[in-house]
Amino acid sequence: MSNPAKKIIPAGHIYMKENVLSKSNLTGISESKALWAKDLGLAQKAEYMFFAGCGYQQMKYVEGMMGALKSAGKWGMSIGKVAGISKVFGKVGIDLTSITARITASKEDPYTPVLVSSVNVLRKLGLDVGYMHEEEPCCGSPMHYAGFESDYADHAKKNCEIFKSYGVRKIIGLVPGCTSALKNAYPQYVSGFDIEVHHILEIIAKSLKEKTIKLKAKKRVKVVYHDPCQLSRYLQLIDEPRQIIKSIEGVELIEPDPEQRGKWSTCCGGGGLEATHPELSERIGTKRARELVSTGASLVLSNCPACDLQLAKMIKRLDSNVSVMDLIRFLDEALN
Amino acid sequence: MNETDLKSLEKEITDSVQRCWKCRMCAAMCPTYEGWLTQSTAGRLMAINLYIKHGLGSLEDLSDILYSCTTCRRCQERCKALSTDCMPADTILKARQYLVKLSEAKEEGKHE
Repeated sequence: MSNPAKKIIPAGHIYMKENVLSKSNLTGISESKALWAKDLGLAQKAEYMFFAGCGYQQMKYVEGMMGALKSAGKWGMSIGKVAGISKVFGKVGIDLTSITARITASKEDPYTPVLVSSVNVLRKLGLDVGYMHEEEPCCGSPMHYAGFESDYADHAKKNCEIFKSYGVRKIIGLVPGCTSALKNAYPQYVSGFDIEVHHILEIIAKSLKEKTIKLKAKKRVKVVYHDPCQLSRYLQLIDEPRQIIKSIEGVELIEPDPEQRGKWSTCCGGGGLEATHPELSERIGTKRARELVSTGASLVLSNCPACDLQLAKMIKRLDSNVSVMDLIRFLDEALN
Repeated sequence: MNETDLKSLEKEITDSVQRCWKCRMCAAMCPTYEGWLTQSTAGRLMAINLYIKHGLGSLEDLSDILYSCTTCRRCQERCKALSTDCMPADTILKARQYLVKLSEAKEEGKHE
């Protein structure tokens, strides 16, 4: 066998890189990603292009993928060679994509409604967005966080060409990770990248300020807002979500300890860490879930697919009746 | 991957660690810190620095240490608030790039 020192990159990361490069999505599933948008009649060209991102579109599969990596045991959690991890899995008789699909099949999907909600919210605020449907690429940020810098740079350049061919000038992102990749990282890798990128919360907060729209929650509720790392520290969107929540009638916003919110918000431990260090990720998640539950709120709002998934899982494990909801979905319901 | 790329990455990483004040406030901020310094920002920076400068530690351990970071950047906010320009979270990402480049170079070398 080869020198073990040569295998140093976690298999989960290599697997995700291969999926992004070969299928332009996170999980390697070939199913159409635009199914959620089929009844919405979104144009392929518009002033503002909606960037849905893999997160919400594929979250149900991401859960399956993490399960598949875990069920692949030492192969899934091991460290592999950079070149060709699927081959290695294939050799020992593990087909991760089919395991992912199998684990997913039995699960309902609470994440794609968030996409529909975001389009609804934007429409209710008078903004019609376009969507690239099947042609929407994966932003590739998992490769960035795993350290595959040259693959990421190439991928960013390729995506830029796709955006250009669609005449995209302004993008509204939904997944925090994708948005921060498009906004902060792409200009560093692609020379002459001049697409304006906004996060959906920025747009919503701005137009709620300009217009007098009445927002009312279905019933009185105490909520706590969990700041996703990518929103609070990568995109500096801390006041916007709070403004939005405070403008909803019948909602009381409870804040966690100052050392655990906003710029200092504690990490939920979800996302990529789950693929490499599942136990550590659970411990971090439980800690964060406890912090949020101890505020006494009955609803946790967040706006990141990884946080939503992780917090929902961990709060459930605490035997607490606190529920987790995406801020956009909550807003959609309040906007009626 | 060529030699100069690796060398310049090495320099970037060790330079950033050089700017660290060793105050360890980042460790207190790190969500993965559970008592072992190597499971925190400070330890990660120390480990990659010692590996590059003195060849200490094995690559597998280094991989475990570096890939256990959640890239939440909480440490970096604390570091910036103390007005150091060490950029710990960005440095950890650079260290991951370094690991990838190193393993790519090794795998390429094996085929020749």
